[in-house]
Amino acid sequence: MSTDTLQRAPLRRITADGNWRSFVPVIVLIVFVAIISAIEPTFIGAPSLKVLIDESLPILILALGQMPVLLVASIDLSSAALASLGTIILAHSLQSFGPGGLLAVLVLTTLAGALNGFLVAVAQVPSFIVTLGALGLWQAAALIWSNAQTVPISTGYEYIGWLVDQQLAGLTVGVWACVVLVILMSLFLYLTNAGQALYAVGLNERATLLTGMAARRTKILAFAISGLSAGLASILLAAKQYSAAPGLADSLLLPCIAAAIIGGCAITGGVGNPLGVLFGALILTVLRVGTTVAGVNPNAQQIIYGFTIIVAVALTIDRRRFSYIK
Amino acid sequence: MTQNTLTSHQPLIELREVNKTFGAVAALSNVSMEIRPHEVVGLIGENGAGKSTLLKIMSGVYQPDTGAVLRDSKEAKLGSPRIAAQHGIGIVHQEQSLVPTLTVAENILLGNEKSSVKMGLMRWSSMRSKARKFLERVGLDVDPMALTEALSFAQRQMVEIAKALAVIEDSGVAPVIILDEPTSVLEAKDIAVLEAEVSNLKKLGSVIFISHRLDEVLRMSDRVYVMRGGQIVAERKASEADEEELYRLMIGRETSSTYYQEDRRVPYQATKPMIEVNGLSVRGQFNDVSFAAHAGEALSIVGVTGSGREELVRALFGSEPCHQGSISLRGKQTTFRSPRHAVAQGIGYIPAERKAEGMVAGLSVEKNLVLATPKVVTKFGVIDPRARTKLAEKWIRDLSVRPQDPKADLGRFSGGNQQKIVLGKWLLSENQDVLILDHPTRGLDPGAKEDVFRIVRDQCEAGKAVIILPDTLEEALGLSHNILVMRDGKITGRYTCDGENPPTQTELLGKMVAGHVD
Repeated sequence: MSTDTLQRAPLRRITADGNWRSFVPVIVLIVFVAIISAIEPTFIGAPSLKVLIDESLPILILALGQMPVLLVASIDLSSAALASLGTIILAHSLQSFGPGGLLAVLVLTTLAGALNGFLVAVAQVPSFIVTLGALGLWQAAALIWSNAQTVPISTGYEYIGWLVDQQLAGLTVGVWACVVLVILMSLFLYLTNAGQALYAVGLNERATLLTGMAARRTKILAFAISGLSAGLASILLAAKQYSAAPGLADSLLLPCIAAAIIGGCAITGGVGNPLGVLFGALILTVLRVGTTVAGVNPNAQQIIYGFTIIVAVALTIDRRRFSYIK
Repeated sequence: MTQNTLTSHQPLIELREVNKTFGAVAALSNVSMEIRPHEVVGLIGENGAGKSTLLKIMSGVYQPDTGAVLRDSKEAKLGSPRIAAQHGIGIVHQEQSLVPTLTVAENILLGNEKSSVKMGLMRWSSMRSKARKFLERVGLDVDPMALTEALSFAQRQMVEIAKALAVIEDSGVAPVIILDEPTSVLEAKDIAVLEAEVSNLKKLGSVIFISHRLDEVLRMSDRVYVMRGGQIVAERKASEADEEELYRLMIGRETSSTYYQEDRRVPYQATKPMIEVNGLSVRGQFNDVSFAAHAGEALSIVGVTGSGREELVRALFGSEPCHQGSISLRGKQTTFRSPRHAVAQGIGYIPAERKAEGMVAGLSVEKNLVLATPKVVTKFGVIDPRARTKLAEKWIRDLSVRPQDPKADLGRFSGGNQQKIVLGKWLLSENQDVLILDHPTRGLDPGAKEDVFRIVRDQCEAGKAVIILPDTLEEALGLSHNILVMRDGKITGRYTCDGENPPTQTELLGKMVAGHVD
């Protein structure tokens, strides 16, 4: 039982759970960047890396929202569709409320997430089902509201444009905003009781209930965070595209879940951290951008993509839970 | 199975100087033992003494690093549980391994259905008759087509044994059945059934019997091996050993006459009821229950399965709604809408199922410790991780938890040390005036039990009311000031233990079991 405590002690200072597996995302990222750079040396240059980082932001934001949901052993299939709907809401609310439109989007998407959480925690419908239904709902709402058209954002663009126009130390403000987001998320998870409760509920919901913890509220919170992240992602996407569109973020659904899982989140709950998710998002973006740069046949890119997810999870998964060893 | 192997006197199984290490830790060192024909061999030892590792070597889960396992005097390489089964070795696990949603027959023949399959289709009639054969062998009268989850705990235990017999059926040698702590969760009357079963199995082959309860080991076994620190430290004929001696050998120190620390059972504050229950009922579970637990009082509630005592304490913790009666806490009438509500008002509850309900495996010791009252280590809503570690270090010392590592995963600790942290979680806050302990010593070794008893005494001294559903009657008598007996959802007896005439176990049993004449 205590055999590996000794050799793991120094590791624990660096990683959250004192486990070498926490490093897998970093190693995978370095290996991919090295391979692609070997094929196409300009890939490692500053301009292309900046593009890469900018590209990774929407996936990162959505994956940071997916993480707390995965922590409580659930899944949110609706977050990308909610982000798409968010861009439509944003286009209209910027016209009506000016900067207040940003707040309106964030409040509405957070509430939409919390509603998912309510159905999961209180009505006890499995999250896969609830969010699958919500996915269709948000997609249809976005289509109807926009008449299935792209909505250009001109009035009020100045309130969101700064995210992609303004630069700070060579990177866009949006990048720094995401760095702050990762830090805030980490602080929330490690230093608040609500953040800690996400882990405990995901690992053993029954025990947390019998300890008098607010397990249901914790689940609702997880989904509300996912909703909030969809709102944030919608603002960034709209700023990038100068427009809103139904389905703008829809293609990010599987990448954002994959990023969280490659970043070390366990689909069974209770395991994961924001830094890992950051690397997960970078890995996925490197795969998407890098395979094109390296001249991989676009039709074959999905092969590498699929292969990576399986290998990364196979390396990261904690098999202690399945072993005989006491 | 051939008769001559049964009648010969060579050992059925022999272990020769078996060694097994995990990392740097020696789990077994130079263990030699033999299991003779038609013999019940008891195996005792504290948690972590190496019993589990030894069982896993005999049942093919682990392979020894050095040394040999001999079956009928021939070396046998038990590379997997399947191979062990072919050598006639079957194991009945401590934690039940049946699939609740399958029928009894399916469970018994799980993995051995082949002979009942014709052209890829299951032949239920053949399954049924085969399963019935094994059920008859263990003397259990249930329908093989019944769903396993509909059976009582004790019946499921019998099905486990039937399953072990089915697994080794085709080995053609005398069976050796390993029973891993079969009695730890059984009630008194079920233990009697199990005892009969063990003597039944003894006719077929041999039995290895592991238990924490020394009296049972002595009663059921012919020979006893005592393990400590990965070694066999003694071998005794059951007829020549007594509990005292076994306990001493197991612990490695003198048994204390103060096992329950009875000298610390000081009078409680009879004028200060902490929790009072009046006419409490939950439909179909228990009816019109009234009692009070006072500051400094240890109150045990005893009863067999179905007596309603588990449901009663769950109602006291708000996880089961009551439909009649009232509860008063510290003299004020109240209701508990949910466990959360009960905790907020000052109730602490330790469930019997430690791993499933009591603790969060995967979280560190310190995080488990603050689960119930996280506010003790927060300032302005922000957790102070240093304060949390310091607090955990203090409680690790006070409760003598091993290893002393606040950041280690609690799931990897031994049962006793886990339980100390689960208990500790309710001791952080001054507000927790009523502690409900549902089988707090279940599955713990005597040393860890003693530590739990010490904590109970400490809490009584601190003026808390402790309500216990004890593991044994002996524990109830040794630990508590008062005992309530429940049967069929009603209180059938009230006894005082710290007075002149404490009740006997027979008296208590008489009130627990229906139809028993006092």
